[in-house]
Amino acid sequence: MTTNTNPLPLFWRLYSVWFRHYTVYTNHLFSNGFPPFVEPLIFLSGIGIGIGSYIIEMDGIPYIQFLASGLIVSSAMYTAAFECTYGTFIRMDFDSNYDAMLSSPISPADIIIGEIIWAGSKGMFFSSAVTLVLTIFQIIYSPYLLCIPFIGLITGMMIAGMSLIVTSFIRTISHFGFYFTGCITPMFFFSGIIFPTSRLPTFLQPIVEILPLSHIVTIARASATGTGSWSLLYDIAYCIACIALTMAIAVRRLRKRLIK
Amino acid sequence: MRVIHVSNLKKTFASKVAANNISFDVNKSTCVGLLGPNGAGKTTALSMLTGQCNRDLSEQTTVDIFGFDPINHSAAIKYITGIVPQVDNLDKELTVEQNLHIFSTFHGLSKKQRLLRISELLDFFDLTDRRQSPIKSLSGGMRRRLIIARAMINSPKLLILDEPTTGLDPQVRHLIWDRLHQLKRQQVTILLTTHYMEEAYEICDKIIIMHEGKIIQTGAPRELLQKQVERYVISVSQSKLLQDILPDIDQTQLRIDMTHEHSLIYCNNIEILHYITDRLPVGYAYIREANLEDLFLKITGRMINDD
Repeated sequence: MTTNTNPLPLFWRLYSVWFRHYTVYTNHLFSNGFPPFVEPLIFLSGIGIGIGSYIIEMDGIPYIQFLASGLIVSSAMYTAAFECTYGTFIRMDFDSNYDAMLSSPISPADIIIGEIIWAGSKGMFFSSAVTLVLTIFQIIYSPYLLCIPFIGLITGMMIAGMSLIVTSFIRTISHFGFYFTGCITPMFFFSGIIFPTSRLPTFLQPIVEILPLSHIVTIARASATGTGSWSLLYDIAYCIACIALTMAIAVRRLRKRLIK
Repeated sequence: MRVIHVSNLKKTFASKVAANNISFDVNKSTCVGLLGPNGAGKTTALSMLTGQCNRDLSEQTTVDIFGFDPINHSAAIKYITGIVPQVDNLDKELTVEQNLHIFSTFHGLSKKQRLLRISELLDFFDLTDRRQSPIKSLSGGMRRRLIIARAMINSPKLLILDEPTTGLDPQVRHLIWDRLHQLKRQQVTILLTTHYMEEAYEICDKIIIMHEGKIIQTGAPRELLQKQVERYVISVSQSKLLQDILPDIDQTQLRIDMTHEHSLIYCNNIEILHYITDRLPVGYAYIREANLEDLFLKITGRMINDD
């Protein structure tokens, strides 16, 4: 059953769900906002001191630059994945936050889509923070870096949609371990963040093509190095389609969970 | 004027029927209480009224809440309704004001309306000096008042409260009853569930007693009492004391509800009850007027025995 009429406009309802998450997140601004600025420093010093001295170049660009552009995407991926698995599950089952929202004119679909938009915003913030640090250290520099907030948004929303579908199946919070080990970690290693996907065996190539992350990594790398091509439009379209599809499935499945 | 009309409302979960052909009406500016043991289906019945739970689809069912059917107009109903859940689902990390602020955005209040409404509500529920306090620092009674305040952020026409005073001390309970009385005078219609018979007697114009998903009694508390229960009752704290006395007494006018330890003897004639207490040792028995609790035990207790 759907809610056909609502006295409040859709954008306002989505905003109010987003606003709730934003208020809770910024309530602990320092502890929540600090990591995305520090993590790239740790990562890059590890690479600079360690691996960087063994691997100088990857796919025609300096390795530190290759990795840095992947890091922009992975930071958004991880924050969205945690937000829409553990975060969503806690809001849904332990803290009954969704029940509170449902006692107002907010509908289940508003909650789920709002959740995806919120994860997108977090992805945007994380990608931008990482890029800012990387630019300050002059590891990457390109006018196309202005696309990074948008790339973070897409990554966050895409991973959020996927993660919410997983959450809709989960009954016990510890089961999320399977998702992180079986899906998020492989995506981190095999989507072109650490090394180019062309290095993978031929039979794995089509699978990597399906993984949404490989497309957004391609886009991020192009904007970090300032080397674009028309094929990027296909990658963007793929990511947007992926968001639309996962969002629709997540809404369908979680609605049943929220309204019995 | 009738503002809620429910007929043949039904809800079946996988393993049980939570609501079985429930029908009732609620008039404007009245308070109606749903009473019943745990698991009687009160919460389910309430959440179907606002669309927070889907009812079984049937041609025979009608649900009309201020002119809206929750199937298609859940949001429109919730726009004019305040809902107080049984569980505490405040945002614990945030302050009192932040919680109210978030809810005001859910209801689409402007900044001006919000600031005014928050001050009014905090004042109404004696929470003004707690405006900036984090939820974690509030007592149970304060949290409960805040949840009711939060439900009223939209100045609702209908207030639905699921066990509003469970687990609260008498002071807070009386404060909440007092506020509910005031709201009724301000034309708010109230629907609540409770386990406290005193609460039902105190604030409800009509009570609906539910048991195992069915409505088994409906009426004004005083009328129901008169119709259904004897006027007086002796409460005896040790059942075995009665063993020697009861055989000598004419029991036709008595209704005896005896458990292993404690007994209740009901009768309309107080003289007979005095006759009994005079024969019991001092301090083990006392006579009182029968109340809703006795009615409740009679009706729902018998149903359990019938199973």
